Amino acid sequence: MIYDICIIGSGVGGAPIAYELSNAGFNVVVLEKGKDYKEEDFNKDELAVCRREIFTPPLKEEQHVINERDADGSIMRYEGSKYNWNFWNGSMVGGSSNLMSGFFHRMKPNDFKLKSVYGEIDGANVVDWPISYEDLEPYYAEVEKIVGVSGKIVKHRFLEPRSTPDFPYPALAVNGITKYFDEACKSLAYESIPTPRAILPLNALGRQGCSYSNFCGSYGCATGAKGSARAALLQRCSATIITEAFVHRLESNDKKVTKAHYYDKNRISHSVDAKIFVVAAQAIESSRLLLNSKNEFFPNGLANNSGQVGKNLIFSAGGVGSGRFTFESLSKQKELMQTGLFFNRSLQDWYEYEENDKKYKGGTIDFLFEHANIISRATKEFYDENGELIWGEKLSAKIHKNLTTSRVLTFEVFNDWLPSDYCFVSVDEKIKDKFDMPVGAINLYGHPHDIKVGTHLANKAVKVLQEMGASDIYMSISSSPPPNLVAGGCRFGMDPKTSVLDANCKAHELQNLYVTDASFMPTGGSVPYTWTIYANSFRVAKHLVSRLNALNNY
Amino acid sequence: MSLYLSDVCSPMFLKTRRTFLKSTFCTTALIVLPKSELFGAVPILETIALVQEDLFPSIRKLDINSSSYLSLILHHSRVADDEKEFLRNGVQWLNEEAVFHYKHPYIKLSSSQRQNILQIISKQRWGDNWIYTMLTYIVEATLSDPIYGANRDGAGWKWLEHIPGLPQPKEPYL
Repeated sequence: MIYDICIIGSGVGGAPIAYELSNAGFNVVVLEKGKDYKEEDFNKDELAVCRREIFTPPLKEEQHVINERDADGSIMRYEGSKYNWNFWNGSMVGGSSNLMSGFFHRMKPNDFKLKSVYGEIDGANVVDWPISYEDLEPYYAEVEKIVGVSGKIVKHRFLEPRSTPDFPYPALAVNGITKYFDEACKSLAYESIPTPRAILPLNALGRQGCSYSNFCGSYGCATGAKGSARAALLQRCSATIITEAFVHRLESNDKKVTKAHYYDKNRISHSVDAKIFVVAAQAIESSRLLLNSKNEFFPNGLANNSGQVGKNLIFSAGGVGSGRFTFESLSKQKELMQTGLFFNRSLQDWYEYEENDKKYKGGTIDFLFEHANIISRATKEFYDENGELIWGEKLSAKIHKNLTTSRVLTFEVFNDWLPSDYCFVSVDEKIKDKFDMPVGAINLYGHPHDIKVGTHLANKAVKVLQEMGASDIYMSISSSPPPNLVAGGCRFGMDPKTSVLDANCKAHELQNLYVTDASFMPTGGSVPYTWTIYANSFRVAKHLVSRLNALNNY
Repeated sequence: MSLYLSDVCSPMFLKTRRTFLKSTFCTTALIVLPKSELFGAVPILETIALVQEDLFPSIRKLDINSSSYLSLILHHSRVADDEKEFLRNGVQWLNEEAVFHYKHPYIKLSSSQRQNILQIISKQRWGDNWIYTMLTYIVEATLSDPIYGANRDGAGWKWLEHIPGLPQPKEPYL
């Protein structure tokens, strides 16, 4: 059997293609490495989900190698299984979108032309996108409706142009403490923005609304309110999904991919034939698959005669911070400790800023309550104010006091991680996974510019916490890559010498190979990537419908 | 300071020693050897249970089954082998410190002597890491879903006025 389209990976990069193409009547198969879960399979078991990480592969069986480059050029090699360091995010139908927090921001028009607007930066491979914000805007709007984005538009300096006046779903309920945040921002002349979320506040789209369980990020959603690729799209289309199917190699001739070879859970090999192949296995794994698919026509890896596959890997730069609140007023304290309701506030005042007459691309700051996970909150109390490890009654008292009488408000800074020659995906020459395939090697390097911008933003966030009267204020901006905010590796562009994909996310070097996860992004914007990956995948889906119609009518 | 390793450092010996520890942990006893002299057998589970109470006395008040939980962890496929080995070796090294300073294994020491030993090892890199790791698993036991059997009747959650997320698990994963 020859499918019209074979999609490798069922997350936000692959699912819109499956949804749109199957609903248009095409014969679609999705090969997903993980298992299928339904709403009833999800629960809030911190031990299983967050500490033993049941939704990602055991590192003994499948790991990454991390080669970290220091400022002096020295490289430290880490075998992930030995250091418990990995970049897995969620191996299951719908991928890591099942576990996301769903902070949804659009990229801004200038994000699509970073080089033209802000200029080159030494040591960074900044380029403009081959498409504009205007090209992607209709698909951002489509995601709002089909996946479900809730929020409230407020006018602010960097609000992106919209084809609709507001979100299709009203904002989620928020904790009463947010009004003190809004007041603090007002006194600082900052513009507080309700954070849009890919979470339904009410029953809609055949899914239940949010139950305000107080445990969202890192957990699968038991109501279906969260707009995961599984709940929003794959459960609502007729695409064939083959689970526990690890695609280890794509076979090709000099022009086309001809087969996807996969192992099932018993390590028995199978293959799938299709007219078009779409790779959307998560940024690192997509590059790894292409690099592991060498043949006589592509001796350096599929679609890699340019040597660009795996290059210009990016993450979200920035960092985190927090402040602790204990209010003397009983009513204020009662509001603070009320669980379940969201905080949902963001700042984008410095999405672009000037310093010493120089224009900088800045970013976004999201504010949220510290995660409700009780074990992780307690483990944060192991050290005293002098950095000394404590135990015994002293530790018990500290845990009890801090967890029962105060609440921590955290912030996350998102700014551009500049692409560079030193940050890329390769395959390791020594270590193989349980399928006997070379594991992905993540070569890490963070550009110093990223730290400078991140620190500028974090200092603004700290001012808000100070204005609100927080104690124990803390911030950390570093080059540590967040494993759940990864992109690049197969960036799109007009020049086949400097990019892997064309503007439609088709490989320059092959006629029927597309890559539609975050790999395509040459730069990431200063927002979480998920909404943009969704929108781009809907955009490519429209192209593929036209292309397959033409192919089938030929 | 590790007395057991002070005179013997060959890789083969280390491998044999690790194998010994792995095969005997929680089934019998470790042998604490000050230099080359047989000192005595140390019951492992008793040592762990006592260390856990010394590190986090609330587990006794809350009736947390913390040592059994650690036994689960030491056999869990999702916990790295290096971590399991470190936990086991830490028990050995703790006893070596106890013998070095007080001529007796940890469980034979007074409360103040045991706290002194914990203070001493906390100044060493391995000791700081080991106590942190032990505390982490104690807190996991205390605040895990009651379905795992350690946090009986949700006593740890009640202590911290914690409202669990719903739905709770129907089956234990461990």
